[in-house]
Amino acid sequence: MSKKDEHVSGATHQRSSNADPLGTNSEIARKLKQYYDELVVDEVPDRFADLLSQLEKAEPARKKD
Amino acid sequence: MAVSVAFKTDLLGAIPSLRAFAVSLSQNADKADDLVQETLVKAWDKHQSFQPGTNLKAWLFTILRNEFYSQMRKRGREVQDSDGLMTARLAVHPSQHGQLDLKDFRAALEKLPEDQREAIILIGASGFSYEEAAEICDCAIGTIKSRVSRARTRLQEILQISGEADFGPDSIASQVMGSSAA
Repeated sequence: MSKKDEHVSGATHQRSSNADPLGTNSEIARKLKQYYDELVVDEVPDRFADLLSQLEKAEPARKKD
Repeated sequence: MAVSVAFKTDLLGAIPSLRAFAVSLSQNADKADDLVQETLVKAWDKHQSFQPGTNLKAWLFTILRNEFYSQMRKRGREVQDSDGLMTARLAVHPSQHGQLDLKDFRAALEKLPEDQREAIILIGASGFSYEEAAEICDCAIGTIKSRVSRARTRLQEILQISGEADFGPDSIASQVMGSSAA
């Protein structure tokens, strides 16, 4: 896929690095997003759902004493 | 007071973000899930200290981060150092085509000091403001800004890319279009 949607000819706002230390348009910022998006998996492993259920069940028992 | 159903639902909903942050911090999927588990237990135990209406995700990230650093302290630096040696052996080469490979990026990120890595992740990926990130890391906003800035510079050095706008195929394409499209 080509980057046809980018009509900017290289003159992005690089000077504003003080206000924006990351540089929202920088290559680093884009890669960072890409890296992180890959880590965010919507499916939650059973391990965690089970854990929360256990914590929930333990709750009333804890209150008795 | 019993933990509300809404709280449990919110915890479940936050798990994908927590796992992503945990992997970014620990650079290890197994360690990351242990961190998330510990975070959930801690969050459950002290749910009363959470003020409804405030940012639950930031609250959870704070717990996870504290847990990560306390585990690191317990374990000592030895493990970290050997991890560092391992990653140092993975050479990072800039791609021939100027397109930065995600694998290279991951290796470069791993080389950053923890404080810089977490700062650039919180700001650039997890979607927190500088104010929120400062609160999560228990430091000044200016500190977060300088860590992000240093992280970015360091990543650019490791990956050998300049901070200026990248001139990719676009500039060539526009030349071609300029000369032949008339």
